[in-house]
Amino acid sequence: MSLNVQNKVTADIHLEITNILNMEAYYLDNRKYKEWLELLADTITYRMPLRETVEGVGVSNIAEDSSFFEETKTSLRTRVNRLYTKSAWVENPSTRQRHFITNIYVEATADPDEYKVRSYFLFMRSRASTSDIEQMFGERHDIIRKIDNEWKICSRTIYPDQSVITTMNMSMFL
Amino acid sequence: MIKKTLNEKAFHLLKEKMEQGLLPQWVITDPDIYDLEIEKIYGHTWQFLGHETEIKEPGSYVTRWMVNDPVLLVRTRQGEVKAFLNSCTHRGTQLCTADRGNKKTFTCPYHGWSYNLEGELVGIVAGNKVYGEEMDKSEWGLRPIPQVASYQGMIFGNLDPNAESLEDYLGEMKWYFDILLGRSGGMEVRGLPQRWVAKANWKATAENFAADPYHVQTTHRSTVEMGISPEDPLYAGYGHQVVMKNAHGINVITSKTGKARVPFQGTPESMWPLFEKHLTPEQLDIQSKVTVFVGGVYPNLSFVSPIHGTEGHLHNYLNFRMWRPIAPDRVEVWCWFLIDKAAPEEYKEDSYRGYLGSFGPSGTLEQDDTETWARIVEVSKGLMMRDKELNYNSVSNYLMGYSHVKPDENFPGPGTAYPTTYIDALSRKMHEHWLELISKDMFEKEVSR
Ligand code: FES
Ligand SMILES: [Fe+2]
Repeated sequence: MSLNVQNKVTADIHLEITNILNMEAYYLDNRKYKEWLELLADTITYRMPLRETVEGVGVSNIAEDSSFFEETKTSLRTRVNRLYTKSAWVENPSTRQRHFITNIYVEATADPDEYKVRSYFLFMRSRASTSDIEQMFGERHDIIRKIDNEWKICSRTIYPDQSVITTMNMSMFL
Repeated sequence: MIKKTLNEKAFHLLKEKMEQGLLPQWVITDPDIYDLEIEKIYGHTWQFLGHETEIKEPGSYVTRWMVNDPVLLVRTRQGEVKAFLNSCTHRGTQLCTADRGNKKTFTCPYHGWSYNLEGELVGIVAGNKVYGEEMDKSEWGLRPIPQVASYQGMIFGNLDPNAESLEDYLGEMKWYFDILLGRSGGMEVRGLPQRWVAKANWKATAENFAADPYHVQTTHRSTVEMGISPEDPLYAGYGHQVVMKNAHGINVITSKTGKARVPFQGTPESMWPLFEKHLTPEQLDIQSKVTVFVGGVYPNLSFVSPIHGTEGHLHNYLNFRMWRPIAPDRVEVWCWFLIDKAAPEEYKEDSYRGYLGSFGPSGTLEQDDTETWARIVEVSKGLMMRDKELNYNSVSNYLMGYSHVKPDENFPGPGTAYPTTYIDALSRKMHEHWLELISKDMFEKEVSR
């Protein structure tokens, strides 16, 4: 669908949004989860449906009736608070993780303060002092909006490419 | 068949230790033991394939695995449930790789043979021109899974045509399935099962889930720190652990007072009359007192019916998980969310969110479980632990409560019910049963009774 909007994605906008996503990855990779929460709008919907294997050409392989995450700001805050307890053993000792965010594509919307942003992610994690490396990859679809002069992520849908997840748990945010 | 590293002496020592409540640790990830388990346990016990609501319409299908056997589970045009080996009879190619779908025929991508929902071979490319008249198509249908049966909507398969029936196999567990799955007239599965691979051994995950409420106060301590669970370290221990035939079991966790923490597990009041209608007075008594049901069907199906929620609301749901062994130190977990068909739509949605916040790979409780599963297998390959002569006394401890806690004769349900869930009765039963199954026909003299 071609958007009938005059709003343009300027180089400045693209840079600002890219910076926000890079900042977000930095927060997540450095256990600054409270700072991360600040990047999210209070009304955020944060979803991660399952990927499925389906037969056919041109059919969706997103399982919209099945999820890993269906979160609000409140439920995300609960998850974050847990990671600041002493006994969330999955992150204590902490894992080391990196979010590699690439292929950022920004689209304007009818609202000059709101942009549709698509990005790819490669998540890698090292846990304990073992030689195993865990990874996950896929795509994210965000709505990012300027609210009171600050960029906020208003919605995020994460599409994993694997239908069988190979990280031993999903304690990470993507 | 005796594996070269598994001798009679090791098995007798194993049995001797297990009678004392000690499980030699070498058995956890021993590769020869693993091969025996696949053959002797998974080749003969009932494996969970799916729930009837996953294949509602004629032509609906899902693909599943019974360890390494690929299964195509279909609903036929007449509405029957059938299960076939998901492998083309021509050259064995995997027939269908989709997770789910709906169709009338399955066509193999290799040479184009096609099969209908009854598993009959209905199409051969170039047919008689290449095979002549003598090949009888009816002899080349899909191979059926030898036994398929369901109870309370739960469909199971068995690779052994001579195995006891599903109902006999479930035995006393049927009575508890009637509560878990039948309390309001039936449950439904939402979407697809979540699947992920964990670093773990299937025996340890099955035990962790079905038989070990004792871990809750430490593994899941973060919920205590956050004020969600009580400070009392015994909080998951109140109630009964019920041990059943074939090493099935359930923990009926109540609370310190013996009463439910929330009436009917936080289900909407509109559903309570349904519970009265569908449950016997004894079952209703249990349903009215329980906070969490957690247990398992041997060997690798576990379940939990807890109360959880996000954003201050409490919701109940039913989660079944199958621990598919894929290596001695790897399990592929399949996790299903079930909810009462009769529940209000909004409640179903909230329960699903409650589930995602607690169990499954993204659930905050389960995340911490995965850490302990991994820590068990990570250390299980060393020489000290693998020593079958037990020179280093590498044995796990199953001594909790077993010798001094007597069964509660007044418990209203079937099975042997112990008046606490902090007890190793069920885990011992699971491991005794495990030894009985893997050592069957192995030596001239039976290792187990
Ligand atoms: S292997 Fe399936 S048609 Fe040949
Ligand atoms: Fe647990």
